[in-house]
Amino acid sequence: MKKAEVRQGTLALMVLRTLQVLGPQHGYGIARRVEQISGDLLAVNQGTLYPVLLKLEQEGAIASEWGASENNRRARFYRLTRQGQKQLRAETEDWEQTSAIIGRFLRAKAEDLL
Amino acid sequence: MNALRRFAARLGHSAAGRHDDQRFRDEMEEHLALQTEDLVRAGLPPEEARRQAMLRFGPVQPLREQLHAQRRMLPLESLVLDVRFGLRMLAKSPTFTAVAVLTLALGIGANAAIFSVVNAVLLRPLPYAAPARLLSVSEGQPKAGIAEAGLSWPAFLAMQDRNQVFSAVAGLPIHALTLTGRGEPDDVSTVAVTPEFFSLLRAKALVGRTLAPEDGREDAAPVAVLSENLWRSRFGADPAIAGRPIMLDQRAFTVAGVMPAGFQTPFVSQADQVWIPLAQDPLFSKWRTRPPATHWMLPVIARLRPGLSLDQARAELQTLSAGLASQYPAEQGWQAAVEPLRQAIVGDVQEPLLLLLGAVGALLLIACANVASLLLTRATARAREMAVRMAHGASRTRLARQLLTESALLGLLGGAAGVALAWGGVSVLASLLPADLPRPHPVRVDGAVLGFALVLTLAASVIFGLAPVLQAFRADPQANLKEGTRAGEGRSSRRARKVLAAGEIALAMVLLAGAGLLLRSLARLESVGPGFVTDHVVKANVSLPRLQYTKPDQWTAFMKELMTRLEARPGLQDAAIVVPAPIADPAVSLPFSIVGNPPLPPGAAITADFVSAGPRYFRAMGIALLQGRVFSRDDTASTPPVAVISASLAKRYFPHENPLGRRLTFGFPPQGNVARKIVGVVADVHDVSLARKPGPMMYVPFSQAPLWGGDVVVRSRLSTQEVAAAIQAATHSIDADVPVTQIASLPGALQVSVARPRLQTLLLGLFSVLALLLAAIGLYGVVSFSVAQRTREIGVRIALGATPAGVRRLVIGESAALVLWGLAVGIPSALLLAHLLSAMLFGIGPADPLTFVGGALLLSVVAVVAAWLPARRAMGVDPMAALRNE
Repeated sequence: MKKAEVRQGTLALMVLRTLQVLGPQHGYGIARRVEQISGDLLAVNQGTLYPVLLKLEQEGAIASEWGASENNRRARFYRLTRQGQKQLRAETEDWEQTSAIIGRFLRAKAEDLL
Repeated sequence: MNALRRFAARLGHSAAGRHDDQRFRDEMEEHLALQTEDLVRAGLPPEEARRQAMLRFGPVQPLREQLHAQRRMLPLESLVLDVRFGLRMLAKSPTFTAVAVLTLALGIGANAAIFSVVNAVLLRPLPYAAPARLLSVSEGQPKAGIAEAGLSWPAFLAMQDRNQVFSAVAGLPIHALTLTGRGEPDDVSTVAVTPEFFSLLRAKALVGRTLAPEDGREDAAPVAVLSENLWRSRFGADPAIAGRPIMLDQRAFTVAGVMPAGFQTPFVSQADQVWIPLAQDPLFSKWRTRPPATHWMLPVIARLRPGLSLDQARAELQTLSAGLASQYPAEQGWQAAVEPLRQAIVGDVQEPLLLLLGAVGALLLIACANVASLLLTRATARAREMAVRMAHGASRTRLARQLLTESALLGLLGGAAGVALAWGGVSVLASLLPADLPRPHPVRVDGAVLGFALVLTLAASVIFGLAPVLQAFRADPQANLKEGTRAGEGRSSRRARKVLAAGEIALAMVLLAGAGLLLRSLARLESVGPGFVTDHVVKANVSLPRLQYTKPDQWTAFMKELMTRLEARPGLQDAAIVVPAPIADPAVSLPFSIVGNPPLPPGAAITADFVSAGPRYFRAMGIALLQGRVFSRDDTASTPPVAVISASLAKRYFPHENPLGRRLTFGFPPQGNVARKIVGVVADVHDVSLARKPGPMMYVPFSQAPLWGGDVVVRSRLSTQEVAAAIQAATHSIDADVPVTQIASLPGALQVSVARPRLQTLLLGLFSVLALLLAAIGLYGVVSFSVAQRTREIGVRIALGATPAGVRRLVIGESAALVLWGLAVGIPSALLLAHLLSAMLFGIGPADPLTFVGGALLLSVVAVVAAWLPARRAMGVDPMAALRNE
């Protein structure tokens, strides 16, 4: 359970970042981008992206509307809202801080910890 | 309306999830299509590409379930939505909202205001430590019908000995002593207490100390404790007051300490107070050593030991009284009784207060019925909206929650406005409360009142909020959705509204009957002649310091001199001394016996109200002499004792004989055994209150029964101020240190005595007028809505030849039927409830026909007026337009 939560949190951050870099995207576009960057994170279960999208939308970090996809079919496009921008900034900082601390911690020698 | 529909749709589909599921499937389809295309572009055959795409997407069903669960709204979020939507709906119909909020505000405000009085007087614990164990102890003669009042000194001492039942017992006679030396001489309310008083109430001094057990000893130096108010007003809040001397009745007392303003002596409401040891009291200290030949009514409070019940205390007192009776003949027939101190303080106000609370409760019910009726009307108009939402898949519970939220919002707005109303009303109410209403706490809107208002608000919201919910549940969404049908009111809803309107009429009838009874009773009361002349009569209390004026001869001489000086002034010939003055002072009831009649068995004392009066008293007060003579200047301490009796005493105890020449044995202690010859019979007067029938009274000449003070009554054409100034000048010309207090005109004193019934009548009258108004509005709403609903029918009737008068009859007839139903329920209920009022009525019975007929007539007239406007509208219906509209 713990693992899944971390995953979802990570995935949410990736979604926000993707939308920031690429602008409005449909679900498949986001999945493709996440796959490109992260390798196998989404390779098996692309569908798990959708609960994350719904959650972000409920939180107001992203908004969605129908639009035309590359081949002119109806697709749902997601875009970052102003609140989402803020959230992304805050979470990025958080994440960098955490990873820095964890990194330092893991690098530390045994005697430093005593 | 567009925004509303979108919003409703959103609410509907978010609850159903059907729409969202479709969206997800669309999205998934597109996702798979794009993935498949990419894979085909990468070289996979289309079939395999599709299979791969589905594999990569992962299992679909768990995903759908997860999404569904995620989409279900959290309760809090939906509440926020409901509240926002509800507020918008209320803002959309400002008239409806204003009427409903105002109606509720009236109902809740009236309840909160009355509750603030009930809370202060009846509910909040007395402001002493562990107040539930505090008792008031007194003796009475239940067999002879003599009410309990205080204890005799031996009974008090015996109680103090029963310390296995009572942890402390203290006596506290209250009277006024003259404080001199600082500014004008003034009477201060003095409580002569046994030293246990302060420890019994667990009260701590603000400055210095309270009384110690040694202060209660006879040979102790006299000390006094001041109230904070007196300390501030008279002694400039001197922080070093402890140890300073003060003069009370010309005698030096050392100040021991100051009690904080929050500390009140039970039964005493004056802010200026002095506490002194009973042993140092110039009057009462002497009484302790006297044998109990006559009864001394010492007010006594006690604290019950923890773990003991009131019944155990009663049993203990039973044995105590039996023991005393065998020891002292004078104690025979007397029985000591206890009651909780709160009950003793609050006395007889509980019933009127609860009555008022019941009245405002009925008012709130009427308000609720009105709002429920309004909501039902609205529910009809909103039937389509509800149907749309149900069609969108909103569940019934969801809709019910939405409707209840709207009702609760309405209720809370009404409650807030009501509390604001109460806030303003309470200060007015507090200023109207009679001065003699016991108030252990100030009357104000506090936490308890706010809590009460909140509970009322929520309860009211549920009561009136259920109506539209039930209505919505019954609605048939299919029928309401059909294009073109008018939103019509269901039969059950119409019946509900009629029941509500009839119920309002019934409640209004009950309130009107109550108010009518009190009003008629008050009118009777105010038309009662007191038996004496009140116009142009001024009374002022003159009391002589007991330490300087120790002998009865001095009292007589002083008053005689005062009268001589007053009568010397032009316009003040009709002046007299009297103790006690009728109505203005509490009556003094004393036992008496008739010389020559066989002695009464012990415990069967007969009593009459005792008055000591100067020779000109009867003339000044216009009390008619019926037989014999009144007192003259020749009745002095050295001539044979005489008495004048009232007509009712003569009638009751000398029914078949001439009372003149017979002798009565009575007197103010210690002259209880003096036989006095009856020389005259005078007319009856109301000496206790206007509401009480005149009882037997006996008068003695002041010179033969002098007291250290009394009321100077003067009948004069001069103004109250001039008379008051003359009394003061005459008194101070004899002795500048004698205080003249409690100056009042007798009509003013009479007003005070009817203040309580007047306030009750005013409040109940106000509430019943409000009830009438609300019931009229409710009736108007029902009838005018029914006219609107029946426009087509009325149009058909007119087209078929109905006359305008016929149409009017139709509409008013509908209203009349409601009123008849309301009265059919209301009058019997009012008759039943009126019996609760019996004790408060004067001169009329609880089933007073005039009140009931008048109330019913008033209601009927109001009902016709309420139906008049809709009837006019119905008469003006254009049959063509009405039919085309459909």
